Amino acid sequence: MANIAGIDLGTTFSALAILNTIGKPEIIPNADGERLTPSAIFFDEDNAGLIRVGIEALNSRYLNAQRAVRWIKRYMGDTNYKKNIDGKNWTAVELSGLILKKLKQDCSAECGEIHDAVISVPAHFDEVRRKATMDAGTMAGLNVIGIVNEPVAAALYYAATREVSGKILVYDLGGGTFDVTIMEVKGRQMDIMCSQGDHALGGIDFDRKILEMLEKNYKDKFDTELIRCEEDRARYEDEAEDIKKTLSRRDVAKKMLYGPVGNMRVEITRRTFEEAVSSLAARTDILVEVALEEAGLEPSKVSKVLLVGGSTRMPLVQKRLEAKFGFPPDVAVNVDECVALGAALHAGLTMLRDHTDVVSAGIAGGLRDIHLTDVCNHSYGTICAPIEKETGRRIIQNHILLKKNTPLPCEVSQTFYTVSDGQEEVEVTITQGEDAAPEYVNKIATHRFKLPPGRSAGCPIKVTYRYDVNQRMHCKFEDLESGRVLEVDFCLDQDGRMSQGEVKQKGEQLELFKVA
Amino acid sequence: MGEPLIQTLVSLHSFMEAALSKSLNRIKSVILPAGVSEPVPTQPSPLNMEILNCRVKLAEQKVENRTCEVFVVEICGSIHSTGSSQYASLKISIDDITDGAGGAGPVHGKIRQWQAQDSPAFCYSADLGRLPQQCTILPDWTAVARINTDWLAFPRRGKRDLSFHIQVLSRDSGEALACAECNFTYENTSPGYIDLQENMQRTKALAIPVAFAVSAADCRMHRSEVELIKSWAKSHIDLSEASEEAKCELENELDKTVAFFREGNQVDVCRICKDIAEIAPLAQRYDILELCLYVAQADGSASPEELDILKDLAGWLQVEPDKFRSMMEKILPVSMHQVRDTEVILGVTSDMGREKSRQQLNKEYAKWNARVTNTDPQVRTQADQMLGLIAEARSQYVG
Repeated sequence: MANIAGIDLGTTFSALAILNTIGKPEIIPNADGERLTPSAIFFDEDNAGLIRVGIEALNSRYLNAQRAVRWIKRYMGDTNYKKNIDGKNWTAVELSGLILKKLKQDCSAECGEIHDAVISVPAHFDEVRRKATMDAGTMAGLNVIGIVNEPVAAALYYAATREVSGKILVYDLGGGTFDVTIMEVKGRQMDIMCSQGDHALGGIDFDRKILEMLEKNYKDKFDTELIRCEEDRARYEDEAEDIKKTLSRRDVAKKMLYGPVGNMRVEITRRTFEEAVSSLAARTDILVEVALEEAGLEPSKVSKVLLVGGSTRMPLVQKRLEAKFGFPPDVAVNVDECVALGAALHAGLTMLRDHTDVVSAGIAGGLRDIHLTDVCNHSYGTICAPIEKETGRRIIQNHILLKKNTPLPCEVSQTFYTVSDGQEEVEVTITQGEDAAPEYVNKIATHRFKLPPGRSAGCPIKVTYRYDVNQRMHCKFEDLESGRVLEVDFCLDQDGRMSQGEVKQKGEQLELFKVA
Repeated sequence: MGEPLIQTLVSLHSFMEAALSKSLNRIKSVILPAGVSEPVPTQPSPLNMEILNCRVKLAEQKVENRTCEVFVVEICGSIHSTGSSQYASLKISIDDITDGAGGAGPVHGKIRQWQAQDSPAFCYSADLGRLPQQCTILPDWTAVARINTDWLAFPRRGKRDLSFHIQVLSRDSGEALACAECNFTYENTSPGYIDLQENMQRTKALAIPVAFAVSAADCRMHRSEVELIKSWAKSHIDLSEASEEAKCELENELDKTVAFFREGNQVDVCRICKDIAEIAPLAQRYDILELCLYVAQADGSASPEELDILKDLAGWLQVEPDKFRSMMEKILPVSMHQVRDTEVILGVTSDMGREKSRQQLNKEYAKWNARVTNTDPQVRTQADQMLGLIAEARSQYVG
């Protein structure tokens, strides 16, 4: 029986966990024996067919930074992002596929074939980024059976492995992204209340502040730039990360800077660091407050704050949370691994729901009684042309039908009306986003819905959106007078920018490269 | 130094009025059928039961928890049909005869249902049912229609002399079986449609110096800004039937205004905006603010002086701060601001306490955070910048 796996595809590190014979998730070490694999890629200079992923790639970038790639997750779904190596433009999906290929390959060697997997994504990822993540998995030869939000995966692992109840706030500050999820836990029943995320806030942003301090110190002393090339940058990025880690343990971090015109010793205190990152810390505070407001909760109603992600080791994170909630956050869970472990549990639950027959009795027993109710990650709406009350003008507006954080499965219907006499078609647009202004939402599909000719304005069109537990959305547009219907189905493994054929083809191309 | 500008404004305004008068004549020629004279006031005639008589009373009526004024139309007298058991319908139209023969014109219907087939003139129709006899006599005043004044658009504000025309028609042939007329004087408290049209033209004329004032705020009238205002003026003043001479006249007036501002002269923008706020509906005030935002944007960046005057303009034009900021976000993104004004960009004002500032910043954060995954790279960049600014403002105002 093939393994059921959960993968944390992180901005800085990735990890893979499988469910053992009794349904408990376990991290599988990579070929170097490490439980975490750096999400770094290096294209070998001497062997064009060889791509290094992990710690070796991280170190190789000191030698030739142009052939190295990091933090790909921040570009997921960005069609403009391209990394050109030896004439080939690598997309973020393909590069992520290489990391997943490495994880699959190493872990398969350790514990047997890895096939069915759930991959975690930040809660704020939109449909395009989720689909891109699934495509990356497919390219790596995985059967991606689902996507799970990172804080949900962490909370799932947390609630499944210890006795907890009440309203839990999951604070997930990772290498590149930050998510806050609030959930209600009653034994092994977990109901997500809301999720909020910041796509550009993570450990690397804190490292950059330290790097700026190093550059400024050097410039002040020598009146010249510390960093003159990408290789220098790679080296000092790691120095900055090291200083941040030191400051999580001590009040002062000391470093020698071996710059281009002279060396200098720098000392950075925790206090100066915390002052430098105050705007980043303010962003985390805001996100927590926004999530609490969305859930309609006062901080005093939160029973526990669960820390997830390596960046939560920074003392200022714990200090600020304690000040807000009045009790220290829970750091008992392994912050680096719990997302992968929770993703494996989620994979088990998905397999149990959709393919019960292939799940072993031991795993089924281990997952018994775990119930998870997820929510819509975004709002979904349609573009319409109502008359603005205050001006009396007809305006083009995004009208939200399915609100963010609605528990799944859910269905909602609303009736709209044609605007002109003789209108023979309606342009139906399905949107994702929270704004009323159409320019600020993403149009995920547009269709033309033909109507019978010769009718006056004001004909009712009923629009129904349904979202199921498998994150499949079904949209129905119904002309109530004629009975004509337009149905549009979305699901993460069907609709998106790349067709299944394209994904398969790209996967075959990846096969040509050796990942080590 | 105000005199040349006033002359310029007067010239612009006269130009617009001339254009307006032409368009009014056009409207009249469409509305009034050829060969029909404009209505004149009629004297109340003694009640003659052999013909149809009508009268109008003003009453109040509750509509959706609101009290509305209604014209109650009553009829009495005789209706002669061509046969027995004839089905009949009622038709009512209203003329405004306040200004006599050269009067203002018909009363318009605001709702399509109560408009004539080929014009906006008010036309009420209702089914009267079957006439019981060939000569149906209504011995008492009978209410046949209740016309909500909200359905009507009068030509002008103030005391209006109205002439009601009532017709009873054969439902089958459309032939008039009986008709009656009566007059009624009504005090209209809302601006009339001609008032609105004049106000609209006047507002457009007033918008031009306001826009030039924004352009001149930083003492540098960039060519792109001037061209934008000129182009706006030309596209918003109806020149479709104007002579070449009139077009040149407008061009000259615009050039004079540009020269006036280039010489360093100033206008009382506050006073002009207050005039606009008195006569212009919200939609038109939005249009003016939008024009001014585009003017500030035209040279690629907005100076502190331009941002200041825009902020003042929004207040003077009585545009809500949230609406002003949402317009600014679209037209003049923060990357174009030469200075970062937290009030303009984030809506945090100095009189807000810590808690209110925190709530406002959280609201802005939730809004911009939802935009960071937008498919448009410009929106994404703007959202990233805004999130950074919000975090900085949080450190500053909330701590």
